[in-house]
Amino acid sequence: MQNATTQKDADDKIGGSFIMEELNADIGLLDVGKAEFFLTEGGFTGLRYDGKEHKHVTLRRALPVNQPSEYISVADNENKEIGILRSLSELSESQLPIVVKELDNRYYSPEVLEVISVKDKLGYVYMELRIKNKSEQSHLKNCAVKDVSRNIRMLNETSMIIFDVDGNRYIVRDINKMDKLSLRRLDPYLF
Amino acid sequence: MNSIAFQFDMDLNMLPVEGEMTFFENGEITVACGGASHTVSVTETRVREAVVQAGVGCGLIFFKHKDENEDDKVVCRFTMSGLKNAGEFCKIVNYYIKTNVFAAADKPEKRRCEKCGKLFVDEIRVCLFCYSKFSVIKRAASYMKPYAGKFILAQSLIIFSGIMYLVIQTLNAHLIDEYLEPMRGTAAEILTIVGIMLAVRAIGEIIFVLNSRMYNKVTISYANDLRSKTFAKLQTLSMHSFSKRTPGDLIRRIMDDTNTIRDFITDAGRWMVERMIFFVTALVVLLILDWRLTLLIFIPVPFVALALKWFWKFIRSRYERQWRKESKTSSILHDIIKGIRTVKAFGNEKAEIKKFSVANHELAQISSDNEAYWARLFPLLTFITGIGEILVLYFGGILVISDDGALTLGRLMLFLMFIGYIYGPLRWIVSFPRWLANATTSMVKVFEIMDEEPEIMEKENPDNVPVSGGVVLDGVTFGYKSYEPVLKGIDLKIEPGEMIGLVGKSGVGKSTLINLVMRLYDPNSGRITINGTDLRDMSPKYLHENIGVVFQETFLFAGTFYENIAYAKSDVTPEDVIAAAKAANAHDFIMATPDGYNTLIGEGGQTISGGERQRLSIARAIIKNPDILILDEATSSLDVETEAAIQESLSRLVKNRTTIAIAHRLSTLRHANRLVVLDEGAVAEVGTHVELLQKKGIYFKLVMAQRQNTQLASAATESGV
Repeated sequence: MQNATTQKDADDKIGGSFIMEELNADIGLLDVGKAEFFLTEGGFTGLRYDGKEHKHVTLRRALPVNQPSEYISVADNENKEIGILRSLSELSESQLPIVVKELDNRYYSPEVLEVISVKDKLGYVYMELRIKNKSEQSHLKNCAVKDVSRNIRMLNETSMIIFDVDGNRYIVRDINKMDKLSLRRLDPYLF
Repeated sequence: MNSIAFQFDMDLNMLPVEGEMTFFENGEITVACGGASHTVSVTETRVREAVVQAGVGCGLIFFKHKDENEDDKVVCRFTMSGLKNAGEFCKIVNYYIKTNVFAAADKPEKRRCEKCGKLFVDEIRVCLFCYSKFSVIKRAASYMKPYAGKFILAQSLIIFSGIMYLVIQTLNAHLIDEYLEPMRGTAAEILTIVGIMLAVRAIGEIIFVLNSRMYNKVTISYANDLRSKTFAKLQTLSMHSFSKRTPGDLIRRIMDDTNTIRDFITDAGRWMVERMIFFVTALVVLLILDWRLTLLIFIPVPFVALALKWFWKFIRSRYERQWRKESKTSSILHDIIKGIRTVKAFGNEKAEIKKFSVANHELAQISSDNEAYWARLFPLLTFITGIGEILVLYFGGILVISDDGALTLGRLMLFLMFIGYIYGPLRWIVSFPRWLANATTSMVKVFEIMDEEPEIMEKENPDNVPVSGGVVLDGVTFGYKSYEPVLKGIDLKIEPGEMIGLVGKSGVGKSTLINLVMRLYDPNSGRITINGTDLRDMSPKYLHENIGVVFQETFLFAGTFYENIAYAKSDVTPEDVIAAAKAANAHDFIMATPDGYNTLIGEGGQTISGGERQRLSIARAIIKNPDILILDEATSSLDVETEAAIQESLSRLVKNRTTIAIAHRLSTLRHANRLVVLDEGAVAEVGTHVELLQKKGIYFKLVMAQRQNTQLASAATESGV
């Protein structure tokens, strides 16, 4: 329900808000027409914008959960924001893959395909998961979760996030699409 | 050749591939991943720095080059599991680049159990799967030594009170068989037996009461001992130990875990002995009475044990859910009540009520479901347990009415009574493993604190020089996390009696620097000296006695004004306290309260304003008469007028003391002899206010920005906005 509200708010606000008009405030949207993202030889993403060339930019999602494809902050290597990319959909066909790849490199939350085992040992939950990796194949991963009520959370009605003790994140995109056995293993943590 | 290695778990395309990065003594770095490997030499190439960049769920190491125009280069990627080790690795590489010295690596912290390979969790460096429960329990038991005598006495009393119960049951059987059933006893005979039973029962109860008292005393003292020892140990640990664990975790370890251990000893120690004695005695008595019937009792035992195990597993997960929902609901409530001012000010009561009632409704649903389950399952369980009884009643009944008199009625009654003693412990035995596991986890957590080596080590023969001399920071580098140095090679000389103002953007390391001067942490490299002596050579207690601190957020303890001012100083007179309060301009408001210096403050006591709080904190610093004074945003939470009043008391305090002050409001630092501007963890500018303004550097920009803000504010006031 919370999600629905946020989505509605978001729809209302895309493309300007009353606050911005009233206060004449500016969130510093990037003028996509003037921006050119490029890959550097060192393996980073660069940006030519407004006559300047930044060789190592960092992309951060402002709303990674609710709107991962919108409001992406672009900062230079001194962590100063150059501007905010309003939506990935504004990017041209040649630019999109570069930005998507950079986001993929920064945000790593592999999808859980199967829950192989869950062992509750003295207050810590040890999980063996089959996760999907970037090559669309899967591999097994062992992880330990402490304080389950905080670190295994529902993001919305259907998806779930698991944080392990190291700070790795695993996402269950849709609990309803999981196999029965996996679901039964996760059942005690579905809230 | 010396080398250190960092294992990572992804290739550059973020695919799961094991790789290793090795740094050799000669400055070469080899990166091997997925069969391919290449070598870079940090001496020959243009690498300026190896940097760890943390992403979300992953991270990377990249090289920055000496030539600014050369691209930064990604060297390897890893999941979050590698982040900490990556930081350690880069630290050693960077130290080499800077000094050409290959620093011996600290022993890397073990993250996995060597035996089973499972991850250690929650800062517990003992594998929860592999540790020896026996040795942990043995250690817990060793703390029982001072109470061993009482403990053993209490245990023997339990045995005694158990025997009393058995005697009563046997007398009962005797009464039925000898007098009631043959209908031949006289009233006097019956009275004698009943009288004996009453007496035995009374003795049993008295013993039980004595035992409970003694047992409670022993276990409470035991838990207290354990708690005090843990707490005392905790006080000797460094800030680092505190900051790597949450306050909640530490409090839980001291309070809850010691209680869990106590409960375990009370329950396991007491009931285990009692139940086991009952079980064994009952079994022996039953076998003597009739071994065939005894075997009948054991027919349902496996079923009962299985049913119980299944039942607990099932009900536990349901109740765990309820428990989590409860804690969620109460935290919502806690939030709303704590933030009630905000809720009301924003007129958001309705939304909050809705939020709470949704959570509450869900909780009610789960609770009533659980109760329903309980109500359905429990009778079933009782039914299964009852089968043994029915079997005994049936076959025993046949034996009683049979002509050969194989069993008497009294003995059958005794039999039925003793079945309870056989089935009772079963329930308990099924849940015992989990119980034991919980207790041993708590023991591990408590012992871990006891075993922790304090990071701020106190030297055996500390060199406690007078701290009135100057403070010198010599190449100080420090980071709370090794991969994120906050201070990088700080060199700074503070003259005796000088006031230094630390200036810089937030997060630049100002507070970190004073934390190091107070030796709440030790620098990762470099050293800090006072009067030429390294802080590490002084005793921390001596140092802290001679440093006075005023923080932005003053923590007042529950207690009186007097106690709060005299905090951490035992040998003060009332005159000292009043003099300090007067010097800090706190005297007047203290005297305005009915109980003066004896007024209770803190939770449930007199409420005091931010300005008053700050003045108390200054009084607390004054009373120590410290040689070195640290002011960390001491006045920034106050309004300008109050600040002016407090500045006055501060200026009295600062006189002739070496002072390091941090202030966001630059005007606060106008008394400073020199200002030190920090930027990106290094000293960027040093000089007086005027010198720095002329320099037109970072300080100049900060002053201009603040001036603009002030002008904006006054313009707004003038125009009546």
